[in-house]
Amino acid sequence: MSTRVGVIGIGQTPYKRAHPELSSAELIWAAVDEALRDANVDIDAIDVIIAGVAPDALSGENGVEKTAVLGSGKPFLRVNTGGATGSSATFAAADYVASGRAKMALVVGVERMGQATSSQNVFNTVFDPIYEKDFPLTTITMAALRASMSMRVYGYTSRDWAEIAARNHRNALRNPLAHLKLDVTVEDIMNSPLLAWPIHRYEACPMSEGACAMVLAAGDVVGSRSVAWIQGLSSMTDSYAMGDRINRAEGSLVDLLTLELSARRAYADAGITDPRRQVDVIELYSPFSSAEAMTYPALGMCAPEDGPRFVQEQLADVSLPVFNPSGGPQAANPVSATGMVRIAECALQVRGLAGERQVPDVVRAVATGQGGATQFSTVCVLGAEPPE
Amino acid sequence: MTELITIPGRWEFDYTYFAGEAASRFFGELKDSRRIMGVRCPSCKRVLVPARSFCDVCFQRTEEWVEVGPEGVVETFTILTAAFAGMPKPPVVIAYVTFDGADTALLNVLTGLDLSNISDAAHRLQARPRVRASFVDEPQGRITDFTFTLL
Repeated sequence: MSTRVGVIGIGQTPYKRAHPELSSAELIWAAVDEALRDANVDIDAIDVIIAGVAPDALSGENGVEKTAVLGSGKPFLRVNTGGATGSSATFAAADYVASGRAKMALVVGVERMGQATSSQNVFNTVFDPIYEKDFPLTTITMAALRASMSMRVYGYTSRDWAEIAARNHRNALRNPLAHLKLDVTVEDIMNSPLLAWPIHRYEACPMSEGACAMVLAAGDVVGSRSVAWIQGLSSMTDSYAMGDRINRAEGSLVDLLTLELSARRAYADAGITDPRRQVDVIELYSPFSSAEAMTYPALGMCAPEDGPRFVQEQLADVSLPVFNPSGGPQAANPVSATGMVRIAECALQVRGLAGERQVPDVVRAVATGQGGATQFSTVCVLGAEPPE
Repeated sequence: MTELITIPGRWEFDYTYFAGEAASRFFGELKDSRRIMGVRCPSCKRVLVPARSFCDVCFQRTEEWVEVGPEGVVETFTILTAAFAGMPKPPVVIAYVTFDGADTALLNVLTGLDLSNISDAAHRLQARPRVRASFVDEPQGRITDFTFTLL
């Protein structure tokens, strides 16, 4: 990057099923106010505002981000890349700063889906209206189609999905912002209702509301503030059609090829050659435990065929990165914000401000984002040291 | 303490989706000939199913039409077991099938499988069974003109 970019302010509302006490504007205000206070800047210092909002129908409001137009006379953009919305919006803000077009950028992701009473029906409309919408294709069944293929191709078991989910839920107990705080065993998870084979309820994300905001600043205006530096970031698209990826030699539907390529590039920018040892925390955009397993090989944690073994390894080997200390999207999935929350949580870890969920001595953290039918992938590396 | 007000809302919009040239021909073949058609990319040579106007990997127009199937193999599947608003009544099986002669897989409903025991049904589908496209009595020129049935 031409200019060093750091995260100097973070604001998050709690994530929960609904915030009936707050209007959409008040929800945005809560996160933005906290982020500006954390950064110790006022709105006049912000040169550009970028909002992330995924499908409008989730809130039943067109352009809910209009209430994030804070202060006047600034460029404003809205980003929507499905589940990757929050990370894509952050990348747009980082690019504004890196290019020198802004010294400070405000990015805000807001999810208002607590207002929706039939969200799976809404999710069906994100798929292709010509060839796909007539089938019960939703975020849950999309994940289930991949989970069953992962089981066939790589030998994952239902227990693997439950073990991953149990760890995420356990971590969420230490996160006061988490929506679900479930004290559940592997058996409890395997015995929870089956939503779409092989996915059980406690292996799936909840529907959450909330907002996340961050202030990104150029290196020369960071000053003495506490900062998490963006050491590397990369985003890549993939073919939309999941069926086109089933037989793809260079990486099938369950191999997350463009997440792997994004990771490789972001790692290179950050000087990471051994991610198993050089990364302390990984915050994953994985709304389902089965989706988390697909990221392990993509992020350089193991060979694809060793994925099932890595499920056990990451539970036992303390020298490996800590996955989802916040509990991850299984504990809170405010869709429009979730990708941003991953970056915010990594920045909090790097700055040592993660409270009860703080991992000791975090030098470097990695955040992922995935959107749509994973046709959007993002990887962001944050660290205590500025990039070289 | 202020009483919190909620206001009821409902989105009810109607749409007409334009299928475009390639899908219209694909649907016409379903309706008139009960054939599943793909297109071959002139660059990567993959046969793409369902048919579309271009290969998004090679950014090439696709003009060579190829009949595939009607038999193929189940690549992956799920069995929807919970009821969601707006979704069909469970259990329902959806599956990606690679038709014989195709390089990509197509999504559709799989019918005719005994779903009285979900675990047994899943086990059977994990074995990559062969299936056939079984057409409805009166095809309408829609993707729902056929389902997958086990051979």
